[in-house]
Amino acid sequence: MGVVTFIAKRIALYFAVLFIGLSITFALPRFMPVNPIDGYIGELQSRASATIAPEGLAELRKSLEELYGLQGSVFEQYLAYMKRVVIDFDFGPSYTYFPHPVSSMLAEALPWTMGLLMTATVIAWCLGNTVGLVAGYFYKKRAASILEFVGILLYPIPYYILAISVLMIFAYIFPIFPLSATFPVGALTLDKAGTILFNSLLPGLALVLAGFGWNILSMKALAIATSEEPYVTFARLKGTTHRTRMIRYVFRNALLPQVTALALSLGVIFNGALLTEIIFSYPGIGLIMRQAASGGDYNVLYGAITVSIIAVATAGLLIDLAYPLLDPRIRHK
Amino acid sequence: MIELNDIVVSYRTERGSINAVDGVNLEIPDGCIVGIAGESGCGKSTLMRAIYGDILSPMSLSSGTIEYGFNDRNGEPVTSENVRNEWFRTLSYIPQSSMNSMNPVIRIREQFIDFPGTDPNKKRVLEQVREYIGKLGLPVEALDSFPHQLSGGMRQRMMIALATFFQPNLIIADEPTTALDVVVQKEILLLLMELQEQMGNTILIVSHDMGVHYQVTHKMLIMYAAKAAEYGDSDSVFDEPLHPYTKMLIGSLPTIGEDRARHGIPGSPPSLWGDLQGCRFAERCPLATGLCRSQEPPLVEHKPGHFAACHFAGADLPDTGGAGWQ
Ligand SMILES: Nc1ncnc2c1ncn2[C@@H]1O[C@H](COP(=O)(O)OP(=O)(O)O)[C@@H](O)[C@H]1O
Ligand SMILES: [Mg+2]
Repeated sequence: MGVVTFIAKRIALYFAVLFIGLSITFALPRFMPVNPIDGYIGELQSRASATIAPEGLAELRKSLEELYGLQGSVFEQYLAYMKRVVIDFDFGPSYTYFPHPVSSMLAEALPWTMGLLMTATVIAWCLGNTVGLVAGYFYKKRAASILEFVGILLYPIPYYILAISVLMIFAYIFPIFPLSATFPVGALTLDKAGTILFNSLLPGLALVLAGFGWNILSMKALAIATSEEPYVTFARLKGTTHRTRMIRYVFRNALLPQVTALALSLGVIFNGALLTEIIFSYPGIGLIMRQAASGGDYNVLYGAITVSIIAVATAGLLIDLAYPLLDPRIRHK
Repeated sequence: MIELNDIVVSYRTERGSINAVDGVNLEIPDGCIVGIAGESGCGKSTLMRAIYGDILSPMSLSSGTIEYGFNDRNGEPVTSENVRNEWFRTLSYIPQSSMNSMNPVIRIREQFIDFPGTDPNKKRVLEQVREYIGKLGLPVEALDSFPHQLSGGMRQRMMIALATFFQPNLIIADEPTTALDVVVQKEILLLLMELQEQMGNTILIVSHDMGVHYQVTHKMLIMYAAKAAEYGDSDSVFDEPLHPYTKMLIGSLPTIGEDRARHGIPGSPPSLWGDLQGCRFAERCPLATGLCRSQEPPLVEHKPGHFAACHFAGADLPDTGGAGWQ
């Protein structure tokens, strides 16, 4: 299989995944037993003490259906939905912040979430793999098991406990960071950037600690297995240094599965966003999702789900496209 | 000349210690190809690792000394202590499986220059490598490939190029052709012989294939249960084997024109864990007597340069026409 075919196939798969994901987000609310418009009208009625005339109600319903794309047959709705989402990236207005469009809410929150979580995931990956590599390569040495101990200690701790502990320790017991951080919004100045960076350190630390342990343990296991490969033994018999063998022989080969793991964890960073942003009052997608969930703001929820589908699929695509650069056996097939 | 003075190589295991090489005494003259044969588990690889100086726990050189008879770059004699610094300088190693012995994710040329070698200027080394590969008649482009892009035979040729590039005094090859098909095997051996003739170095080559030994070697060492059973010039060993074990090994080779299947030697070697008394081959030897079972035969020079460890060295085996071994 040539590289071009490989890339073409992979990109086709990407679009197929996106298409299926978008179709599911379309279908999901339509299977729900409650109609959000009924709910909305009911709420209005109770507030207005049932004084809206039936004609007025029909009018209202019609305009709401138009607004939320619920007009016509399901098939027509589907086409209209796809057109809106794919071409205009438009998820309609937010219920709670009517008529603020969902897409601009997401666009404001996305850089926050991506910035924090991607940075933390990448740092956790780099640190974890470095520690895991050394622990695995020198697994016969006693000092290496101390390194591994860090992973064994951190890995099983549930994230919310880790996050709250970090907050307790560094904001309450040692009040280095604010307990409830504020993140300045609006145009970015150097001063604001400094505050944002400083206040992000705590959630960042919690995320790094959470992701770190797994990376240590899996890299260690991979490094041990790779150290036993005949090519590492032969490299030793050639007289290569530990450094060469650890990096060029063990790491380069053990890296491949870890890159896949990185792609997967980058794809699911939105899972981590919810808890992190609530605990550290961090203004990202997670916080918006929580508000939307408690306020029945469907458009915002589906918009956020769509964004996470796109993120997962894109992370997978990028890593798969980068993979041949790392593994010549795929590149030159 | 390489001298092995009564070397014992042991493995420490949970069940205790075993001697996988148990008192081997040899003198290997310079510039010859020595074949090492014997059943699986008799200690061939262990002996090779000990000579190469790759002595790592749980393996240890419990007694005896190895003298290499050549000097390192500083003119100091190479000994068991400093031999590791000489890897891929004055002695090198050809592994069994070229398939798995190369790093799959870096180019072959990188694998020629990622060890200390003799010249810190890697660019210059690479130039010399290209020249050398060309001189061997190998395609220079192979250097720019990744291992999986080459055939098994080409990979093993590159291995041989790698091992001979620094013109080492000693090359150790542990089953270098086992993983290859017969035609490629022959080409690889021819390359190795040709290089040896040009460089005049010593090659120790392990193979369980007596046919390979017959074609390639100048001297033969037959090992049995951690001991040297027979050692001598290949012509002499193949024409007039002295030890019954050697006779049976050679006898088990299929001969051209003979419609007889290759048959092994019945029985199995003694466990190295057990109480090893007398001749270790006695259990399987058609000539064994009470003497053999109680007294261990030393390795004795029966003819000039031809040694065997047998109380009845040179005696004929009862003629069974091979049928007895089936
Ligand atoms: N790492 C090890 N630990 C314990 N025993 C070993 C080890 N390696 C080899 N042995 C034992 O040493 C003996 C000789 O092995 P080896 O030198 O590999 O034989 P050969 O190469 O002739 O097949 C065998 O009995 C084997 O079981
Ligand atoms: Mg072996």
